[in-house]
Amino acid sequence: MTAVSNPLDETDCEAARALRIIESMPGFAWSADVAGQFTYVSPNTLAFLGNARDDLNTSGGEDEFGWRRFVHPDDYDRVAARWRHCLETGDHYDTEHRLRRADGVYRWFRNSGRPSRDGEGRITQWYGTTIDIEDQKQAEAALRDRERELSQLVDMVPSHLWRLTPEGRPIFFNRRMVEFLGMDVTDIDRPGMSRLEALVDTVVHPDDARAMKDALGRSLATGAHFAMRYRLRRADGVYHWMSSRAEPLRDHAGRIVQWYGLCHDIDDQMRAEEGLRDSERMLRQLVETLPALIYCAAPDGKPIYRSQQLREFLGFGLDEKDEAGRPRLASTLDAVIHPDDLAAVQERYGHSLATGEPYALKHRLRRFDGVYRWVETRAASMRNAEGAIVQWTGVCLDIDGEVRARQELQLAQQRLARASQAAGLAELSASIAHEVNQPLAAIVANSHACHRWLSAEPANIERAKLTAERIIRDANSAADVVSRIRALFRQSTEARTVTPFGGVIAETRELLADEVAQRRIRMDIDVAADLPPVMVDRVQIQQVLINLIRNGMEAMDGLATERVLRLRVRRADDTVRTEISDRGPGVDLPEKMFEAFFTTKEHGMGMGLAICRSIVESHDGRLWAERNDPCGATFIFTLPVRAGAAA
Amino acid sequence: MMTGDHIVFIVDDDAPLREALGELLAAHGMRAAAFASAGDYIAADKPDVPACLILDVELPDINGLDLQGQMAESDHPPIIFLTGHGDIPSSVRAIKHGAADFLTKPCNDADLMAAITAAINHDRETRSQRAELDALRQRYRTLTPREREVLPLVVSGLLNKQAAAELGISEVTLQIHRRNVMQKMAAASLADLVRIAGQLEVPVTHSRRPGGSGA
Repeated sequence: MTAVSNPLDETDCEAARALRIIESMPGFAWSADVAGQFTYVSPNTLAFLGNARDDLNTSGGEDEFGWRRFVHPDDYDRVAARWRHCLETGDHYDTEHRLRRADGVYRWFRNSGRPSRDGEGRITQWYGTTIDIEDQKQAEAALRDRERELSQLVDMVPSHLWRLTPEGRPIFFNRRMVEFLGMDVTDIDRPGMSRLEALVDTVVHPDDARAMKDALGRSLATGAHFAMRYRLRRADGVYHWMSSRAEPLRDHAGRIVQWYGLCHDIDDQMRAEEGLRDSERMLRQLVETLPALIYCAAPDGKPIYRSQQLREFLGFGLDEKDEAGRPRLASTLDAVIHPDDLAAVQERYGHSLATGEPYALKHRLRRFDGVYRWVETRAASMRNAEGAIVQWTGVCLDIDGEVRARQELQLAQQRLARASQAAGLAELSASIAHEVNQPLAAIVANSHACHRWLSAEPANIERAKLTAERIIRDANSAADVVSRIRALFRQSTEARTVTPFGGVIAETRELLADEVAQRRIRMDIDVAADLPPVMVDRVQIQQVLINLIRNGMEAMDGLATERVLRLRVRRADDTVRTEISDRGPGVDLPEKMFEAFFTTKEHGMGMGLAICRSIVESHDGRLWAERNDPCGATFIFTLPVRAGAAA
Repeated sequence: MMTGDHIVFIVDDDAPLREALGELLAAHGMRAAAFASAGDYIAADKPDVPACLILDVELPDINGLDLQGQMAESDHPPIIFLTGHGDIPSSVRAIKHGAADFLTKPCNDADLMAAITAAINHDRETRSQRAELDALRQRYRTLTPREREVLPLVVSGLLNKQAAAELGISEVTLQIHRRNVMQKMAAASLADLVRIAGQLEVPVTHSRRPGGSGA
C-alpha cells in the first residue's frame, strides 16, 4: 500500500487533506495489513528511526515483523508477543516500549493500534499512533524513586512513625514500629473495641494508658498538638520509655485529613536522666540536709546559689538584696555581715577571689530575725581543666555556741587573771606597807616617848637616850626594808639565760593573742631578723612586755578609731631596743608614771610600771616613755646585748 | 587622871614596836604588859584591874579580829586594834563586835592615849557594874524557893491578896515572905526592889490588873 497519489479529483483532495492532518499531528501515525506489515508510516517516524519505510517490513529469521532492531531488546519480546496476539485476535493493541532513535538513543513511546473491519467484520487494516512518552516516563520514574526513597526513609528513621485517621484510627506504622511492636496496624484489631483502644490496651504501659488515652483523645477532639512520654511494650514484653508527638495534617479548608505521629525511643535517655535525677536529688538532699549553710559563687564572688538552710537563715533569696549599679556580692555582704567584721570579711574574701586561695574566717552573720550569730565560713575554688576558676563553693558553720562559750571562758579567765593580778599587787603593797609600817610605828611611838621623857620634870635623860637609840635602830631597819624590796627585783639573776629575743616576743604575742582579739586590737609587730641574743630572765621580761602591751591596749579602750598597737624591736648600738606604741590619749607626765602608786587608771595599784622599770634596770637596761605625735604614748626599753657577761 | 590600879596589855609580834609602845606608856606613867602572840596573852596570868588590850590585827598565830570573836563569850578588856593597813571591812567588823577603837600604824601619840584612857575608864565602869550585879546575885541566891516565887509577883505590881491567891497562900503568909525578900535583897523600897529585879533580869510574870493599885 502507498500513500503517494496524484490528488486531482475531489476524492483525491479529501485524501490529501487527511494525509496532511495526519502528518502534521504530534506523534507517529501508521497503518498495517492483517499480517502486520506496515502499509503506511508517517514521515516523522522514518526521520526519527533514520530508515526507509520498506526496511520496517523486511522480516525474516528472528525478526518476525521487520522492526526488531528498532525496539529496545528488553521490550521486544513483550511487544512482539502482544502484536502477534492482536493480529490473531483483533484485540486492541496498546503497549509502551522504547524505540531507538537514529542517533542510537532509546525513547519511550506508547503505541496504540485499532483494527478496521469490513461489512462482514473481517479485519481489513490496522491503524495506529505512536506517541513519545519519554518525558512522562522519566517523570514517573523520578516519582517512583522519590516514593521509594520516602518509603525507605519512613522505614529507616530510628523512630516510630504512624498515621491516624482524623477519627483516630491507626492506619499506618512504619517498619521500625512494626518490628518494635511485633505487629502491624491490622494485627491490632480486636472485636468490640476501636483499633486505637485496642492499641493502647495492648502496648501502652497500664500506668500510662489512662493519661495517654486522655491526652490523645483531647488532641483528636481539638486538633491540638499531642506530646507526651509513656512506656510502650516491645514485642518481647519489655516496656520502653517513648517520647511521642503527633500533628494533624489539614487540607486547604483547614479540615484535618490525617494525624501523623512520631514516637521516639527515649528509654536510655530516661534511664540516664533518672540516674542523673537520682544522683542530683541525692546531692541536693545532701546539700540541703547537711547541718551547714552552703553557697556557691561565680568566679567574681557573685552569689549564685544558696542552700535552703542558708536561705532560711538569712531570710531572703539570692537577688533580693540586689541594688542597681552595685555588685551583688557587695550588697549581700553589707546586708549580712556584722559591721565590725565587714572590713575583715571584705579584705579576706577579696584576697581569696583575687588569688584563688581558700577562704576561711570566723565572723558574725545576720540571721533573718536580726540576731548576729558567729559562723565559720570556708570557701574553696573549683577549677576547670585549664586551671581557671569556674566557681566558688562555700560552707558556713554556725559556731555561735562555741564562740560564746569560749568568749565566756576567756572572760572568766581574764577576770581570774585580773583578780589574781590585783591580789598579787594588793598583797605586795600590803606586805610592803606592813614591812615599812612596823619600824615606822615603832619610831613614832619611841619619838613620842622620848619627847615625853625629855618634857618630864625633871627630864628623864637616861630613858630619853634609850628611846633615841631605839629610834635610830628602827629607822635603819625601815631603810633595810626598802632595800630588801628593791632587791626583790634584782635577785633572780640566776634565772637569766642567753635568749633569742624574737622567741620571747613570739611567746608573749601568743599569750596575749586572745586578749588582743577580744579588745579588737591590731598588733603591728615588726621584729628585726638580725637580733642578737640577750641575757635575760625570760619570765621577767615577758612580764614587762605583757605589762606594757596590756597598758597600751587599755589606753586605747575607749578609742573609736582603729586600735593599732605597734611593737617594734631593733638593735640599737649595744642594746636591743623595744618600742611599744599605742594610739591612746598619751601621757602627761612620762617620768611620774614610773613611780609606784601613780596611776591614771581607774583600777589598779599603779605598781606595774614601777615594777617593770625595776626589772629592766635590774637587767642593766632602761625603760622610759615618750609622747607620740599626734597621739598616744610609746614605751621604750632597752636591754644590753651582753647583759649577762657584764653582770 | 589615871590611877595606878590599871594595866594596858599589848599584843604585837613585832618586838621593836612592842618595846616602843611599852616605853611610850611608861613615859605616860602607865603600867603595861606586852605579849608577842595571842596565845601568850591568853595563857598569861592577868591582874584583876581595869585594863585595855592593844591588839595587832596581823598576828602570826591568829588574826586579831578572830581573837576578838573568840573572847566575845567571856569578860575581856576593851580592845584597841592596831593595823598596818586599815581596810574598811575589817574596821567595821571590829567595831561591830565591840572594839573600843581601830587605829592604823604609825599612830599619833594623842590618839593612842585618848583611846587607851577611854577604854580603861569604860572597863572600870563595866567592872563596877559587874561587881554590883555579882553582889545582887549573891543575895538572890540566899532567897528560899517560896521567896523566889513571891519576888516576881511583887515586882509585877500585884496586890498582896492577889499574889497570895496566885500562890494559894494566905495574905498574911505572903506579907511575911515579902518582908524577908526585901530584907535579903537589901531593898530600901518596893521601887528599889523593882530596880534590883530588873538588874537580875527577874521576869515580870504578871501585869497589874486593871483597877488595881500598887502596894
